[in-house]
Amino acid sequence: MDAASRSDQPAIRVRDLRKTFRVAERDAGLAASIRGLVRRTHRDVEAVAGVSFDVASGEVVGFLGANGAGKTTMLKMLSGLLFPTSGEVSVLGHTPSRREREFLRRITLVMGNRNQLQWDIPALDSFEMNRAVYRIPDAEFRRTRDELVELLEIGDLVRKPVRNLSLGERMKAEIAASLLHRPQVLFLDEPTIGLDVTAQKRIRGFLAEYNRRTGASILLTSHYMADVQALCSRVVVIDAGAVLYDGGLRALTTRFSPHQTITVQLPEGVTDLSGYGEVVESSPDGRTSLRVPTAEASAVAARLLADHRVSGLTIEDPPIEDVIERVFAGRPSAPVPS
Amino acid sequence: MAGTRTDRDLQALRLVGTFLRVGVQNELQYRTNVLFSLLQSGVAVGTSLAVLALVFSHTDSLGGWSGDELLVVMGVHVLMGGVIRSVIQPNMQQLMDDVRQGTLDFVLTKPADGQLLVSARRFEVWQVVDVLVGAALVVVAVVRLDRPVGPLAVAGFLVALLLGVVVIYSFWLLLTVLAFWIVRVDALVELFDGMYQAGRWPVSVYPGWLRFGFTFLVPLAFAITVPAEALTGRASGWLLLGAAAFTAALFAVTRFAWRVGLRHYSGASA
Repeated sequence: MDAASRSDQPAIRVRDLRKTFRVAERDAGLAASIRGLVRRTHRDVEAVAGVSFDVASGEVVGFLGANGAGKTTMLKMLSGLLFPTSGEVSVLGHTPSRREREFLRRITLVMGNRNQLQWDIPALDSFEMNRAVYRIPDAEFRRTRDELVELLEIGDLVRKPVRNLSLGERMKAEIAASLLHRPQVLFLDEPTIGLDVTAQKRIRGFLAEYNRRTGASILLTSHYMADVQALCSRVVVIDAGAVLYDGGLRALTTRFSPHQTITVQLPEGVTDLSGYGEVVESSPDGRTSLRVPTAEASAVAARLLADHRVSGLTIEDPPIEDVIERVFAGRPSAPVPS
Repeated sequence: MAGTRTDRDLQALRLVGTFLRVGVQNELQYRTNVLFSLLQSGVAVGTSLAVLALVFSHTDSLGGWSGDELLVVMGVHVLMGGVIRSVIQPNMQQLMDDVRQGTLDFVLTKPADGQLLVSARRFEVWQVVDVLVGAALVVVAVVRLDRPVGPLAVAGFLVALLLGVVVIYSFWLLLTVLAFWIVRVDALVELFDGMYQAGRWPVSVYPGWLRFGFTFLVPLAFAITVPAEALTGRASGWLLLGAAAFTAALFAVTRFAWRVGLRHYSGASA
C-alpha cells in the first residue's frame, strides 16, 4: 500500500467498542467489610458500551463527557493500555492492544494530572531518556527538541529540576517530552487541567500550531470548553459509555439547545414582549431578552422589527458551556410556551 | 533474524547506558548524599565486624567457616547490599509508585521493553560506596586467608557474583510484580529487607528448614553464600552450574510473572 492511499484511511477507526469492568461490591461499614473478605460480590460495569467513530488524519476531535462517562477508558483502549472487551479499534492501521513498537513510536499519550518527567532532574535529561527510548537520531532529536522548546517558550525552564517548575511550566515541558518522536496521533487527556488561563491559552495555541505544522491527528478531552472551541472542529460527546453526539461544535449547539436568545433594545422603555417568546430578562432601560425556538428566531425578530421601534436587536446562541451542561445533565431544554 | 536480535540487544544496552549516564549526572548534584552513604556503610561494616569478633572470641569456626572466610561472606553481603540499594531497590520502589499512581501508563506506551525500562530508570550512584567497601572487605579477607586463591577461584567468584545479582533482581521484581494485584506491597519489601540481614552468615550455619528457605524461597544462598564459597574454594563446578540453572529458571519465572502482571494491569486477563 503506498503512502497516498494510506492517507485516505482514517487515522483512528473505532467500531462497536466495549469495555466491561468487574468491580467488587460491598456495603459500607465494618461488618460488610469483613463479609467482603470471605465472599465477594461482583458487578459488571460497562464503561464503554458500543462506541463507533472515525478520526481522519490531521483532524482535531474533542472528546466530551461528564466524569465517569468513559473518556479515559476510551483513550486507554486507543493507546493500547487497556484491552477491549469486544469491538474493533484501529489506530494508524495497528491494533493498539498488541502494543507493537511500530505503533507506539507513532502515538503519544499526555495526561494532565500525571507526570512522566522525572521529578528531581531537569526536563532536558528526561528528554534525553526519551531520545534513547524512541531511538531518535541525534540531529533529528536536536532539531525537534529546539523547535518544541521555542514554540512552547520553555528555553530557560528545561534546565531546572522539574520539581522547581510551576504547574503550567511543567505541563509545557511534559508536552514537549511527549512530542519529541513526532507522533502522528496525539491522545491528550485533560492537558490543561488546573492551569491558569494564560498557560491554558499558550498550550492551546501551541497544539493548534503543532497540528498545522505536522498534520497529526489529535484526540483531546477537556473540561474547559475554551480548549474545545479553540481546537476542535468536531466533537464526540459520550455519556454512560455511548456516543450521544458526533459532529460539529456549532451543530451541537442547535441540536441540544434548540433555542436562541433575542435581545431587543426599545427606546420607548419597558414593554411587555411576552407575546413573542419567553422573557428571560427585562431591564428598565428598555432592553429585553427573549428565548425563542431557533427555527422561529428570524420570524420573531422580523415581527419585533415590524411591530416596534427597535434601536438594537441581536440573536445569539447560548454559551457552549450551558449547552454542554445541558447535554451532560441529560435533560432536554424546557419547552417554550408559544 | 540473528542480526536483528543482536541489534535489539545493542539498542537495549545503549538505552541502559543513557539512563545510567542521566542517573549519575543527577545524583552528582546531591553531594551531601555521599556523606550519608559513607556513614551508613561505616556503621554497617563496624557492627558486622564487632559481631564477627564477638563470635570468634568464643569459637574458631562457625558451621565450618573460619573467621577470615566469614569475612568474605560479609564482604559479599555488603557489596550485594550496595547493588540492591543503588539500582534494584530504587527502580522497584519507582515501579510500585507508578502502579499506585497510574504513571506506569507512560512506561507501557513506550516502544521499548517494559521490564527493561522499569529496571533501569533509577541509579543512586552514592550507594555504590557499599559496593566498593564490600569489595575491599573481600580483598582484605582473601589476603588474610591461610591459603592462596587461584585465578580459577576468582573467575568462579565473579561468575557467581553476577548470577547472584540476577537472582536478587529477579526475586525483587517478582515481589514487586505483586503490586499489580495488591497495590500495597511495601510490607513485603520490608520483610525482604529484614531477611536480607540473615545473609551476612553463610546459609550452612542455619538449621535445615531455614537453609532450604534461604536457598529457594528467599534466594540468599545463591546471592551471597555461593559467591563466597567459590572464592574460598568450597564450590565445585557443579554447584556453579546449578546456580546458573537456578538463576536462569528464576529469571524466566520473573519474566513470565511480569507479562502476566501486565496483562492483568491492562485488563486482558479479567
